[in-house]
Amino acid sequence: MKNNQKLPASFRDPSGFLFFQEDILYRQVNLVYQENFDRLVESGLYEHLVNSGKLISHKETELPPPEPETAYKVIQPKQLSFISYPYEWSFSQLKDAALLTLGIQKRALQHGMSLKDSSAYNVQFPPEDAKPVLIDTLSFEVYREGSPWVAYRQFCQHFLAPLALMCFTDERLSQLLRVYIDGIPLDLAGSILPRRTKFNFGLLTHIHLHAAAQKRYAAEDVGKAVQTRTMSKTSLLGLIDSLERTTQKLEWSPASTEWGDYYEDTNYTPHAAKHKKELVESCIDQVKPQMVWDLGGNVGVFSRLASQKGIPTIAFDIDTAAVEKNYLDIKANEESHLLPLVLDLTNPSPDIGWHNLERRSLPSRSTPDLIMALALVHHLAISNNVPLKMIAEYFSSLAPWLIIEFIPKSDSQVQRLLATREDIFPNYSFAGLEEAFGNYYKVIASEDIKDSQRRMYLMKKK
Amino acid sequence: MPVHLSKPVELLIDILNSPPVKNQAYLDPGSGSFIIQVLIASLVGIGFALRGYWGKFLGLFQKKANEEDTGKADETSDEE
Repeated sequence: MKNNQKLPASFRDPSGFLFFQEDILYRQVNLVYQENFDRLVESGLYEHLVNSGKLISHKETELPPPEPETAYKVIQPKQLSFISYPYEWSFSQLKDAALLTLGIQKRALQHGMSLKDSSAYNVQFPPEDAKPVLIDTLSFEVYREGSPWVAYRQFCQHFLAPLALMCFTDERLSQLLRVYIDGIPLDLAGSILPRRTKFNFGLLTHIHLHAAAQKRYAAEDVGKAVQTRTMSKTSLLGLIDSLERTTQKLEWSPASTEWGDYYEDTNYTPHAAKHKKELVESCIDQVKPQMVWDLGGNVGVFSRLASQKGIPTIAFDIDTAAVEKNYLDIKANEESHLLPLVLDLTNPSPDIGWHNLERRSLPSRSTPDLIMALALVHHLAISNNVPLKMIAEYFSSLAPWLIIEFIPKSDSQVQRLLATREDIFPNYSFAGLEEAFGNYYKVIASEDIKDSQRRMYLMKKK
Repeated sequence: MPVHLSKPVELLIDILNSPPVKNQAYLDPGSGSFIIQVLIASLVGIGFALRGYWGKFLGLFQKKANEEDTGKADETSDEE
């Protein structure tokens, strides 16, 4: 990105914008936001939220602002190594982000401020500690007595509706966030949610009646009524409390899924599993990556071989249950450097939003040094008919290093995939893999996994 | 005590007669969302306030019980 060029997603809020200068991210704070910015700092809210790990820290800089006529300050936020999006989060990740937002709003009101937006995209899970953090320093405004919460609709669309749908209908409906970039329309959520959610006071009011009110007043001129109706601070606190209680009560327990219990259902002997771990660990030590992506990482057993060395690691999996389990394990054990995310590799997150630049595709955000594709290729090649050469081409576009495990047709896991379909994969073999990947990679090391029919490769991009 | 009893009434009056406030936010709160928010907030705000008063009311007894326990403990320690 060119120097001083605004980030494509940083255009809606006139309070300021993000830009890069020499690959460092800065934020210009505009003069129109001066009163709010000063209050954030002077009220002690900034210090409290940063010290409690809820708001990203920043330092003020002397960098000349890109738009000096409107500028108040230039700040340098703490840089994140990876940006993720709500449609890549599991249920508990979205729930924790929602509760963080409401907790911050409650604290802000204690300091005479209020959140002026509640976008789920303002929350990030830095891989280094995997806890949610608000990244938009300009989300706060001075609270005026009598004001409603201007971000109420956005909170319901970005958080409450998807959480309710995941909880009561199907967890895969989180993918609606990929279609509706400003959150799931409440009338749509209300029409998909089961009728019994109308007996849940929080969902009845914040989703069903909310959607009905949107429809009722959509075509009416209510400008005067809107300008004259106000609400007390106690009512506002009651509203936040109601949203918090409703969110807290939403629970989702993953049922046993195809891959959710994968690591309890493998054909590895203990000896083979141990040897596989040794091989992966040895490759990681050899590459010494700055960031690792574990594609098809399931519950993160092998991702942890990297993250436990202090290497920021993203464990991607298509299975929301596996990602949920991984996230809950990380929380329970207070692990760091590991971020689990939901991703369908056959349809990875694309560039979406305004100008197709607002929410970026996976490789447009950042790329790792090392990819791990362990027990993954047979799913792509056989279940999804992706030719080995195309898998190699895609992987090589993502990272210079690759650890890949190949499972031959004779293995029971591949036999299971071929049991219900015709074998149209004559090139699916060790030789076929080496030839296909040889177009893009040089094999640095390869070794058969003991007590199994599988082979591990370490490859470097040509 | 009469002062405490009148607080919920004051709160209700406060909710119904709050002064007009001009909104200057960059997000459109949406007409329907705005209206339903005020209605829901008025409803849950009363419950929220009453829960707060109830908590304070229970707190008084808890404080008294704690003071009695501390007194007993002090007496016990005195005896020892």
